[in-house]
Amino acid sequence: MTDTATHPDDHAISRRAVLGGGLGVLATFVLHPNRAGAAPGRATSASGATSAAALGAAATGGTVSGWVRVNADNTVTIAFGGAEMGQGIMTGLAQGVAEELMVDWSQVRTEAAPPAQSYVTGGSFGVRRNLGAMRLAGAQALDVLRRAAAAKWKVDPASLTVKRGVFTNPATGAKLKFSQVAAAASALTPAASPPLTPQSAFRILGKTAKRVDLPSKVDGSATFGIDVRVPDMVYAAIKHCPTIGGSLAATPAVPAGAIAVVPLANAVAVVADTTWAAFKAANALSVSWSIPSAASKVSSASMLATQQALMASGTAGSPVAEQVGDAVGAYGSSAQQLEATYQVPYLPHVCMEVLNCTAHVTADSAEVWVPTQAPAWVVGTVQTVTGLPASAITVHPTLLGGGLGRKIEQDYVLQAVTVAKAVGRPVKLTWQREEDMGHDQYRPSGLVRVRLGLGGNKKVAAYQSRIVTPSPLAQRGWIGPTGNDNVDGAVELPYTFGSRLVEYVRDPATIPVGFWRSVGESINCFAVESAMDEAAALAGKDPLTFRRMHLPAGTRARKVLDTAAAQIGWTTAPPAGRARGIALATGFGSLAAMIVEISQPTAGTMAVHRVACAVDVGFAVNPGQVVSQLEGGIIQGISSAQWGRTTFSSGRASSRNFSNTRLLKMRETPVITVKVIQSGMENLGGIGEVGVPPMAPALANAWAALTGTRLRTLPLFPSAGGMGD
Amino acid sequence: MTYNVNGKTYSIDCDPDMPLLWAIRDVVGLTGTKYGCGIEICRACTVWIDGSPEKSCEKKAREGVGVRITTVEGLANDPVGQKLQQAFIDVQAPQCGYCQSGMLMVATKLVRSKPKPTDADIDAAIGNICACGTYPRVRQAIKKATGQ
Ligand code: FES
Ligand code: FES
Repeated sequence: MTDTATHPDDHAISRRAVLGGGLGVLATFVLHPNRAGAAPGRATSASGATSAAALGAAATGGTVSGWVRVNADNTVTIAFGGAEMGQGIMTGLAQGVAEELMVDWSQVRTEAAPPAQSYVTGGSFGVRRNLGAMRLAGAQALDVLRRAAAAKWKVDPASLTVKRGVFTNPATGAKLKFSQVAAAASALTPAASPPLTPQSAFRILGKTAKRVDLPSKVDGSATFGIDVRVPDMVYAAIKHCPTIGGSLAATPAVPAGAIAVVPLANAVAVVADTTWAAFKAANALSVSWSIPSAASKVSSASMLATQQALMASGTAGSPVAEQVGDAVGAYGSSAQQLEATYQVPYLPHVCMEVLNCTAHVTADSAEVWVPTQAPAWVVGTVQTVTGLPASAITVHPTLLGGGLGRKIEQDYVLQAVTVAKAVGRPVKLTWQREEDMGHDQYRPSGLVRVRLGLGGNKKVAAYQSRIVTPSPLAQRGWIGPTGNDNVDGAVELPYTFGSRLVEYVRDPATIPVGFWRSVGESINCFAVESAMDEAAALAGKDPLTFRRMHLPAGTRARKVLDTAAAQIGWTTAPPAGRARGIALATGFGSLAAMIVEISQPTAGTMAVHRVACAVDVGFAVNPGQVVSQLEGGIIQGISSAQWGRTTFSSGRASSRNFSNTRLLKMRETPVITVKVIQSGMENLGGIGEVGVPPMAPALANAWAALTGTRLRTLPLFPSAGGMGD
Repeated sequence: MTYNVNGKTYSIDCDPDMPLLWAIRDVVGLTGTKYGCGIEICRACTVWIDGSPEKSCEKKAREGVGVRITTVEGLANDPVGQKLQQAFIDVQAPQCGYCQSGMLMVATKLVRSKPKPTDADIDAAIGNICACGTYPRVRQAIKKATGQ
């Protein structure tokens, strides 16, 4: 770009960090905010939080850090320990530092923090959990800079004014730049809890800030993992056993055109001198696999039958996730009863950037370049393969071409490091799209049975959910059988129900499951919000009215619903041939209400014309970014609700490529309006996920309103799920 | 083989049957052009060949000889391309950014042939897949760059 002068961004810095520059090398001043005793990021699992993130924090010891460096040109470089996958986290956290440090946004640079200072990015926690730490880092940096400047002038630190990274001595009018006192400041110990800027005085937080990573994303200079190039590098492709649960029986000979073949547990890697040569050789390779007979029998039909049996038999010993009052008794004695079972499929993540990892392993060191949501876990993975001490391992987290929860996993890292160790040269492993979709760690499939019992006043006297899904946490052995990652969106609902009972029954399916944007919410919100519409119909009430009957005036939930309804003009009928559907989601600390307007252009197909969204995020760190994230969540929610699924037969996943996996395109994208409500800093919520879960129920509700047909199974239109033109 | 990419000459040595995508990324070494599907659907791999957008995963390396190849790294040499790059930043279009090179290559060509594209023109031209859902802002960027 020719005019980066108008932007705060200097992508050269973040690229240098990615490509091997380190913090501290250029440092004139480095401040570690945790040194003063702050222990941000140690949040324990907040209720309603996605467990992926909560667990991530626990597993890494919750080390979170912001580092601040003052550069010679009086800019500041802020180290960033999260994963930038398009959600603007790099920018959001830098805003927090810049606010307290009293520099202008144009003076801010960012670069990657080392893995020890990194954290797992997931569960919409990135900004939420770390903003406080980053503000503290900024305030502590300002504190020592201020004292260093005051010492030079021999005046009271409190008397100095500061603007744009420059102190002024009001008595004399003399000025000192941060860069002139940084060296002296770095010798001082920062105050443990310097005062923070009150919200009323915010200059940067809460204002739309241009994202620091964007210039590099329009001129091809951004380095995603797949773009990493290291001298003397070779390229690897992966070929997994097509049957999930199978393993490599024998290592095949090195085929023509390849450099090496490396055996892996359930796969073989083929190394060649270009990506294409590796792909080609891997595709042509014939491999013998050993496949347990149970694995080869796994099919969607058999797994559904298991889930249905568990649903029927479930209660004995099933953990109760939420219980308020006697929901069983109240349901039995209610005037009207709704019972409906909803079904959701396994879902692939489909990041545009396929899984990849570059590694170089020598006898006494290892270096890894990887698009990861969990840099600290990468160190552990490298240790598993190499036995090297952590101090001998360097991890360069790159930009992510989408993460969506898939890039928390370590499978592709383990493979790349194993291959690099075997060949003794730097290796870039790239999964072909077919491997990426066919060997995902899928969003769990599930059945959710909802019972709503209405009293004579047409209000819900009894709410019951029974959820049958595999558990990503239990599958990894990280928790016992309770599987608390699967009840989000079914518990702690904002509605004033008379009684509640939420039970979880773990499905022991062997399909690898993982954390998909919005995790349990994506399953349960579909069930609960579909059931709310069905119950509204039973009660003879309008779906908005029925929800409002269960949301007291003044609640955040009622406000988001009312705001969305006002946007679309809910009380005015939609144009002929169209119908609307509504849904509410609460989670990740935020609330979102969605209203969709659809039509049926040809029998059995849906066109989505409008989406009105209202979201309460508590406090919008970067309001423009909130809207972007919601737009993205809405679009992904529409794609997955209509078409998203992976089925299994003979133990093999159906998802291969975009030929049978459909995402929304420009021409299918509705007009989206997003209203952001800020109910207060104390409610600071996540924005990456909450847009996704309400889309499926809103669309199903609209479809029922339009056609009279209630669709209780996702995807809504399974036979339309391919692309190619 | 000799390539002309973004006005520079590259002498490259690779399997002539290799998809042009991988020749550009791994052999020429310009990585702004992205692999998304390899089967001619996602358009993340779009480059211009003699000024016309093509999916580089469907071309062979040998088809890169004797033509002018333009990748996103060379887009700023085109005044319309530069305008669109700026508009993408102004409206904060990219999210993860992975698909955006392809988006920009297609969008720039659209604006070069239709200086004031309508919504229908945009719908017809932008067949790119964006998993992050940047479509509303890409549309907005195209409108902004064309003074609409
Ligand atoms: S990589 Fe060429 S169209 Fe997807
Ligand atoms: S910006 Fe992420 S795929 Fe388009």
